[in-house]
Amino acid sequence: MIEFKLPELGENIEQGDLVRLMVEPGAAVSAGQSVMELETDKAVVEVPSSVSGTVQEICVKEGDKIKVGQVIFTVDGAEAKGSGVPSQAAAPAPAPAPREKPAAPASKEVAAATSQAAASSAPSSTPGASEFKLPELGENISQGDLVRLMIAPGARVSEGQPIMELETDKAVVEVPSSVSGVVKELKVKEGEKIKVGQVIFTLEGGAAAAQPARPRSAPVEHVSGQHGARLAFQAAIRAEGKTEEQALPPDQPQQTVPSFSMPAQLGKVAGTEHRQPVPAAPHVRRLAREVGVDIYDVKGTGPGGRISEDAVKAHAKALLSAAATAAATPRAGHFAQPQLPDFAKWGKIERVSMRGVRRKTAEHLAEAWNTIPHVTQHDRADITELEQLRARFAPKAEEAGGKMTVTAIALKVCAAALKVFPQFNASIDIEKEEIVYKQYINIGVAADTDRGLLVPVIRDVEKKNIVELAVELSQLSKKAREKKLSPADMEGGTFTITNLGGIGGVGFTPIVNFPEVAILGLSRSRMEPEWLNGKFEPRLILPLSLSYDHRLIDGADAARFLRWISEAFEQPFLLSVQG
Amino acid sequence: MSETSNLNLAVVGGGPGGYAAAFLAADLGMSVTLIDPELNPGGVCLYRGCIPSKALLHVAKLLEEAHQAKDWGIEFSAPKIDLKRLRSFKENVVKKLTGGLGVLSKQRKVRYVQGRAAFENSNTLSVTKTDGAQESLTFDRIIIATGSRPAVVSTLKLDTPRMMDSTGALNLEDVPGTLLVVGGGYIGLELGSVYAALGTRVTVVEMLPGLLPGADRDLVLPLHKRLEKMFEAILLNTTVASVKDEGNGIRATLKAQDGNSQEKVFDRVLVSVGRKPNSEIPGLDKTRVQVGQRGFIQVNKQLQTDDPSIYAIGDVVGEPMLAHKASHEGRVAVEAIAGHKVAFEPNAIPAVVFTDPEVAWCGLTETQAQKENREVKVAKFPWAASGRAITLDRPEGMTKLLIDPQTERVLGVGIVGVGAGEMIAEGVLAIEMAALASDVALSIHPHPTLSETVMESAEVFYGTSTHIYRPKRG
Repeated sequence: MIEFKLPELGENIEQGDLVRLMVEPGAAVSAGQSVMELETDKAVVEVPSSVSGTVQEICVKEGDKIKVGQVIFTVDGAEAKGSGVPSQAAAPAPAPAPREKPAAPASKEVAAATSQAAASSAPSSTPGASEFKLPELGENISQGDLVRLMIAPGARVSEGQPIMELETDKAVVEVPSSVSGVVKELKVKEGEKIKVGQVIFTLEGGAAAAQPARPRSAPVEHVSGQHGARLAFQAAIRAEGKTEEQALPPDQPQQTVPSFSMPAQLGKVAGTEHRQPVPAAPHVRRLAREVGVDIYDVKGTGPGGRISEDAVKAHAKALLSAAATAAATPRAGHFAQPQLPDFAKWGKIERVSMRGVRRKTAEHLAEAWNTIPHVTQHDRADITELEQLRARFAPKAEEAGGKMTVTAIALKVCAAALKVFPQFNASIDIEKEEIVYKQYINIGVAADTDRGLLVPVIRDVEKKNIVELAVELSQLSKKAREKKLSPADMEGGTFTITNLGGIGGVGFTPIVNFPEVAILGLSRSRMEPEWLNGKFEPRLILPLSLSYDHRLIDGADAARFLRWISEAFEQPFLLSVQG
Repeated sequence: MSETSNLNLAVVGGGPGGYAAAFLAADLGMSVTLIDPELNPGGVCLYRGCIPSKALLHVAKLLEEAHQAKDWGIEFSAPKIDLKRLRSFKENVVKKLTGGLGVLSKQRKVRYVQGRAAFENSNTLSVTKTDGAQESLTFDRIIIATGSRPAVVSTLKLDTPRMMDSTGALNLEDVPGTLLVVGGGYIGLELGSVYAALGTRVTVVEMLPGLLPGADRDLVLPLHKRLEKMFEAILLNTTVASVKDEGNGIRATLKAQDGNSQEKVFDRVLVSVGRKPNSEIPGLDKTRVQVGQRGFIQVNKQLQTDDPSIYAIGDVVGEPMLAHKASHEGRVAVEAIAGHKVAFEPNAIPAVVFTDPEVAWCGLTETQAQKENREVKVAKFPWAASGRAITLDRPEGMTKLLIDPQTERVLGVGIVGVGAGEMIAEGVLAIEMAALASDVALSIHPHPTLSETVMESAEVFYGTSTHIYRPKRG
């Protein structure tokens, strides 16, 4: 039997909601065939199978939250690929502790050793784990209330699969299993308080109770082992950064007389770290890099410690579940709020899980609001003339497949303004105390979809003309409506435009799309009497609202920036002169 | 994906690193401009390095074997050397290969600009074309692949064609009566061999106590013995103190470490004391690229310089200055630019010296293991026990494996003997795949070939080699 597990979907995407399953038991699948639609934080993606065969068992159902590494279905074929827990008995060398991966037995020991020093049930180090205990959830969290159990006796669990929701002081977290097998007995009930190290369930076939207590050899090492793994994971995500550059061997002082010499060991050259060659084939090393695993942390179980593709995948999965647990805690900060009253006391309520786009929006906006001291500047642009031009050129855009909208024109205007005022096209790097000026102009356009707020990004706006922008904008809006936007379509913005004019209103205070530093809001334009040449004249006025990061941008500059934009709307000629 | 494939990329330098990078980038859908002063891609490797020298070495080997054939009952009269035809053979080889690369770049729609590039800023190059035209071009990314050039020693500078570097020596203007080769590295020994085979009396001077510094001594020894017969003299621990142009020759003062010095007049002198990176690119100071003390451009494992839009590969980023390292780096750099998570992280880069016998090695060397105090087991198979070597009348060769005693993993391979350069590829594969000595020993190798010596040295490790009786120690 071969398992198909949810593969990596992209940077920082750990899970998604299963929208649609395209296979059923008995169906034949082949590698590359799409087997399901998954809604991630950013987009709905089709996931292709990486295995071929006949589907035997489907381990998920539509509506489930699925994590990277979770088993989706099994197909018949070659023998099963192990449970992810390497058989230690088969390992040739007595493995030293520091490189040990946080496999099930190790994490059990961590749990027992750290917060339950007096725990009586000592762990066994038999390779097949027989029970699952509540692992460490984060610093200073020793217990939680069991909100929901997601498994029942007889159910199959696999490593990394969420098995319960636990409410800690800070947040409700999903706890993934670190073992695989069939659940025999549940040792806890919903509503109970559960301590770190407490047994949650036992597995079929495990000799849980009978194991005599074995003296624990240096539990501290196991703790550092798990911490090490977590650090290694973090290091792996930042792998391409400065640290490696620092690892460059320093240049040798030049010899007085040049002499030719082949470097003695031709695997070690400038730019590579001075580490012993790892026993893994080139494609395995490359895979490790792709999934963000430091190959040196993976324990090889092949001859001579050789690391297989499967070992890398198993390691990545273990890191992900560890990281998911670790990440759940800090995330809680944004949701931290006083206890809610019992709304049901006053009438009927309905609770709907806050998933996908909505949750991501909540987190992102809370972060932006918490980080950025916002100020909003308002102005009005007389677009009477522009409107005539727009109407005149609209057919041209339509011919090209786009729609000449105020937003399309605003894109062009903003790009020109950002060139004149580069600080509005920047970001703040507080850690390094630097301002990052971007020499490209990518403008996000907030789109109102039935799934919530999405911000597709149009790239290199300054290099495109209004017709091109109109066409691209139409395409992106269509993609957004059809749920076809990929994460890449929503990355790399330097400024954002949000147009609520289609709905109405006279002005609003948009929230800056962090880490950008400014956002332009457009409201509904309307005919207003303007005092021109000694009399009131009916003019079409577009209200503009610019929110900006006051840390980087002074009020006067914001006023000048918005004035420049207003004038560019009023006199489109300015664009060609200054833009 | 579509984002990266639309990138506009420039590759400065059309050597084996540069053109490999340009071709892969084109294959990945990037719009590619390749800039090089030559008519076609190829660089030093094809125009003035690996390729022409190998054409000449092939001829040199033929001459040597014709000479040796006397021992086998075949006697040729003394060879007549038509230098003009030999040169045109060599030049045709170069033309054929570089022309082929020209066609390949056209097929891939790589824009080939014949000229030299200078940086205006991190994304803009000012290209002075060979026809004198100047053009300013802007790119999303730029790969520097400017390679290296022969190092020059200030005391060995004379303005006469008698004083040559490797480029001059490959031009093969004449067969001098005497030639002084300064530097016993691979370039000096290869070119020295060519001239010796053509009839020149060659003297090699090496500052260090052995030829091919850096290579294991047991691999160099068989070569040294053979070269001693071919060359007039091999002077180790010796430097050239001064040179003087005397019109009909160059008078060189050779100073040995023990203080003795001697003067000799040579028809020509070849200076082959190493190569220097071509990192003095005009306008490089207008970018954020950093150059290290030895002139190598600093890059990370993705071959990216300190300037995020500029990458650098090949000789200009560091040792070993080898074409195959450059090509691999070029491909990694392009994949990194395309957004793939890749790194330059080989476990073994092969080195080959194309003398006769050839010397080749990869991965860990004994010299390096000793320096690192690393415990390794060395399993050697002398070619005197190889049927194939005996049929070739070349029993001086040797194959050795460096093996980790704990894991039995193959860490390094060294070979000296005819065809070692072809054979080392098996060693690279074994090391990259983390093969154990038993994997090598259990893989059937064809008989009768020299490749069997790789299998049999693995058997030596277990004390069970068929063709030598050497019980396992310890």
